[in-house]
Amino acid sequence: MEYCPVKYPDQFNQAISKNKAIHIYYSQAIPLITYIDESCLYLKEKKCRICEAVCKNNAIDFNQTAEKVEIKAGAIVLAPGFEPFDPRLREDYGYGKFANVVTSMDYERLLCATGPYEGEVLRSSDLKHPHKIAWIQCVGSRQVTPGGSSYCSAVCCTYTQKQVILTKDHDAAAECAVFHNDIRSYGKDFERFYQRAESLPGVRFIRSYVSVVRENPETKSVTIRYATTADGVKEEEFDMVVLSVGLNPPADFKDLADKFKIELNGHGFCQTDPVNPVETSRPGIFISGAFQGPVDIPESVFSASGAGSRCGELLTARRGDLARERVYPPERDASGEEPRIGVFVCHCGANIGRIVNVPEAVEYCKTLPNVVHAQEQLFSCATNCAGEITDMIKEKGLNRVIVAACSPRTLEALFRDTLREAGLNQYYYEMANIREHCSWVHPKEKEEATRKAKDLIRMSVARSRHLEPLMEIELPVNKAALVVGGGIAGMTCALSIAGQGHEVHLVEKETELGGTARRIHDTLEGLDVQAYLRDLIKKVYRHPLIHVYTGAAISDAAGYVGNFVTVVRSEGRVFEIKHGATVIAVGADIYTPAEYLYGEDERVMTHLDLEERIAKGDAKVTNAASVVMIQCVGCRNEDRNYCSRICCSESIKNALKLKAINPGTDVYILFRDIRTYGYNEDYYREAAGKEVRFIRYEPHDPPLVEAVAEGGKSILKVTATDYVLGKKLELDADIIALAAAIIPAAGARELENLFKVGLNPDGFFKEAHVKLRPVEFAAEGVYLCGIAHYPKLIKETVSQAYGAAGRVLTLLSSDTVTASGSICAVDENKCISCGACIAACKYGAIEFRETPLGRKAAVNPVLCKGDGLCNAKCPTGAIQLKHFTDDEILSQIDAALLEEESAERDQAVV
Amino acid sequence: MCTGRVDLAHVLRAFSKGSDGVFIGGCRLNECNYITHGNYHALNKVLLFKKIMAHLGLNPERLKIEFMSSGEGNLFAEVVDHFIKQVKELGPLGQGEGIDENGLKLKLKAFTKLIPYIRLVESERLRVHFTTIEEYQAFYSSEELERLFRELIAGKLAISQIVLLLREKPLSTGEMSAILGLTPSEISRHLSSSARQGLVRYDESGKRFVLA
Amino acid sequence: MNIKVPAVTGMERAKERHAKSLAGANFGDVLVAGGGISGIQASLDLANAGFKVYLVEKGPAIGGHMAQLDKTFPTNDCSM
Repeated sequence: MEYCPVKYPDQFNQAISKNKAIHIYYSQAIPLITYIDESCLYLKEKKCRICEAVCKNNAIDFNQTAEKVEIKAGAIVLAPGFEPFDPRLREDYGYGKFANVVTSMDYERLLCATGPYEGEVLRSSDLKHPHKIAWIQCVGSRQVTPGGSSYCSAVCCTYTQKQVILTKDHDAAAECAVFHNDIRSYGKDFERFYQRAESLPGVRFIRSYVSVVRENPETKSVTIRYATTADGVKEEEFDMVVLSVGLNPPADFKDLADKFKIELNGHGFCQTDPVNPVETSRPGIFISGAFQGPVDIPESVFSASGAGSRCGELLTARRGDLARERVYPPERDASGEEPRIGVFVCHCGANIGRIVNVPEAVEYCKTLPNVVHAQEQLFSCATNCAGEITDMIKEKGLNRVIVAACSPRTLEALFRDTLREAGLNQYYYEMANIREHCSWVHPKEKEEATRKAKDLIRMSVARSRHLEPLMEIELPVNKAALVVGGGIAGMTCALSIAGQGHEVHLVEKETELGGTARRIHDTLEGLDVQAYLRDLIKKVYRHPLIHVYTGAAISDAAGYVGNFVTVVRSEGRVFEIKHGATVIAVGADIYTPAEYLYGEDERVMTHLDLEERIAKGDAKVTNAASVVMIQCVGCRNEDRNYCSRICCSESIKNALKLKAINPGTDVYILFRDIRTYGYNEDYYREAAGKEVRFIRYEPHDPPLVEAVAEGGKSILKVTATDYVLGKKLELDADIIALAAAIIPAAGARELENLFKVGLNPDGFFKEAHVKLRPVEFAAEGVYLCGIAHYPKLIKETVSQAYGAAGRVLTLLSSDTVTASGSICAVDENKCISCGACIAACKYGAIEFRETPLGRKAAVNPVLCKGDGLCNAKCPTGAIQLKHFTDDEILSQIDAALLEEESAERDQAVV
Repeated sequence: MCTGRVDLAHVLRAFSKGSDGVFIGGCRLNECNYITHGNYHALNKVLLFKKIMAHLGLNPERLKIEFMSSGEGNLFAEVVDHFIKQVKELGPLGQGEGIDENGLKLKLKAFTKLIPYIRLVESERLRVHFTTIEEYQAFYSSEELERLFRELIAGKLAISQIVLLLREKPLSTGEMSAILGLTPSEISRHLSSSARQGLVRYDESGKRFVLA
Repeated sequence: MNIKVPAVTGMERAKERHAKSLAGANFGDVLVAGGGISGIQASLDLANAGFKVYLVEKGPAIGGHMAQLDKTFPTNDCSM
């Protein structure tokens, strides 16, 4: 790359910085090799070819031609993603004209350590830091003008809050202003995230349309004009303006549709089944991710698992036919050997190397006892470097390997695999985190950081001497699944799992299947929910592999992944069910309002009540002259600091229904933010167009509902402040519908204990990772879908249910599951039979056993989850958590605080 | 591995090897990844450890436990920066409290020896099931805890230190009182107890106590 | 990933031969078009569930737009 003479705008860095014609796409790219793109001189003008001459491995071949490969497949998943909206299509934002107007994607690259300015946010006009930054929301979205999209791009409000938080990390004194029209923080943990951003000093969220007025010719700063109800029209100058661009269909969407013969919707995204966002118009072709429309990462991830499950249903007959077995070389027994430690210090590109003096660290390693090999690597995780580690293990007979690089959470699994490839037990691997724990948090203290890196490596070396080889156990997997909850989520999941040949036990606490959907009649898109539900229930009962238990309660649950035993009581009988996987799909409840005269006046009801009464044709509702809906009842407050996600859509759905039945009805929606994200924005626009009146209220000034006696009748009056008019409004209401919060299911806490899963602070089930593992729990073998996870729309529930099924199949399709080798073991010589460990272990993994030395504690390796609490309770240190023994931990502490180091020590972080 | 794995011995090792402050980070209470809720156990241990530190004349602020989620990196940085500042202000361990090097060594060694016993005491007599930090702190400042502490731990700590001292050379009540900062009558009480346990005896000729 | 093959029957032997004859050829179970986060997830799930997957990506590396992000909300985890 050094030799290439061509520099051109780097597409990965949003064309802000330049790169060579031959380059690696980005520093952590997989595959991590260079490629030559169309800016190459040779490819354009047949000149140059320097790179070819310079390459020592003769890896460059300018005679390559495009190869056509024909692939036959049983099913196809299209995952082409999205394109950020290009604001050049709309001149009024100044993008491309004013140097310091950037898109959010540009800004993202600026924030990134691997970006054009290595993590410094700089203005391209003068390469100085901007201190006053404005974000403009909804650029390219919620617009019916040419070039724009009418839908809401769903993720921009939250990604802007993220950018604000990160900006404040970069520059504590930065002033940030976000100009918006409704903040759509509708997702799990989004509301708290919004509050986190808003509460930072110097951050303002300003509700206003804006125009980008002019650029200051000298400073190149940009002026924005906006208007608020409090202050009227104002102009303000900013160092930089970030356009929060929306999500557009992928660049080649028409081409994709033609080639694969699938239908697109009016927005250019894939037309999907109204109830199933992974299903296209063509059987056998599925989609995942943002090709369905703007969605965030968790939805992309579980829709991908869902698409996988649908493919699995189609192809289940030939599962495993084309799979090949992975064979590792036999493992050598290194347990009797003296430690021979190899240390590999990674530069991680510039991430570590720019701050920590890696060569110096390598030299230091060589001075440590038992270290027989030390070297640096550019990217230890790159395939060639990992291969180098494997080779060194064999060549130098290493029996301990330390990689000083990033966090074990990212790549421990990869490097453990590398050891296996070399015939060494994977638990001889140790990782020193000199990135997240060092270079990334001490970017301005290079010398100190280098010293700390040496400390960390020394600690790892000390620990590694004590490491022992550990065996992972292969446990058999019971091929059946238990699905708890018979609503849309549970039934969809059960059908998909059963469709792939596994028995499913579906347990429902009510006497009928259907869950919350029994109260829902249609969706905004016009789906007949009751018909859909009837059909789904029929399919479930007809399926030979699904066993349904209604009126059921779970009285006991035990076991571990692949081998659960659950006791279910249903209709007077008791069943002991053996299964390999569990799916939690228990749904949620609805808040019973205590406010706004609910329960006191029968004209005040919830939005669900209203829906039911409209569906029944209740004249009191359909002939009402005035219906007032109040949003955010019971949530987005101190009691429940989250958004119930679907109520804005639900109320608008009811409003449209009412208007369709009787256009003369006055419908008012009193809201805080209208959160009709994604395609539902179109219905918001439609409702406004049909004269549904939207009146905003502030949380500190909620509407007042009173029943007032007037002319011998009791009139319901709603009083609210209208911020546009600047005065109080009084509305007479025949019906008041409260958008009552969705709350966690009543039985959630019980399940928490039964299945060893967790709840989040709001009481909804807590998934293993909100973004990357959205349908499973930290406890292995247990999965999650539907509104038990968090409120969501029917089609999102279906997508997540397929996603959970897909993940269940990755477990159940295997005959075995591997348990970690890091579990506890008892040294019988030290055990004094006090039982402290047994009392502490809630997994029931320890019990007393008779041994030749008397009654001693013994660990069941299959039940032990490796937390190690028992260790801290044992008075003699008899029970030790393998891989985290006292010797190993104490050796790290000793190494950290080595007395020879005369420099001042401040603390050890445990 | 859970925060519940953190042992008193580990913390003590850090202090003994020259650390001036120890920080323990765990998951938010009620959000333990394991059903064992190990973070509560860690909290319990830390509060007990602090009590013992205070009793020995060491500043309990040198040990800190904070609960946060792994996604709150900014909070972690804030908390640690603040803690470092605090510890720097407290000065080196021992010196900052006006205890000389030998005195410090003695105290830490006595404490270390008692760890197995303290573990037993903690799991058998101090098993509590609170759900908030406030409840734990209230318990640890309560009369009940004070009584248990005096009954079960304070005496043993003193005796542990006495035994270590006598291992070096014979000492009189007055001399021990000066070194350990306890009143002569307290020392006498501990000596009686130790004598009953067969640990020490009075040497008539040297007019001092020695190890039995 | 380990697939344990139980005692081989005649039918299974025939299946194996058929599979082997196709394995070298460009015959797969599923084609995933697009190597962003959802394409990657779908491929991994399918492969772990026993299917042969062809993952096709137009760019020179996989990762899609998520690779361009610095951190992701609401946890502010590194997008990598």
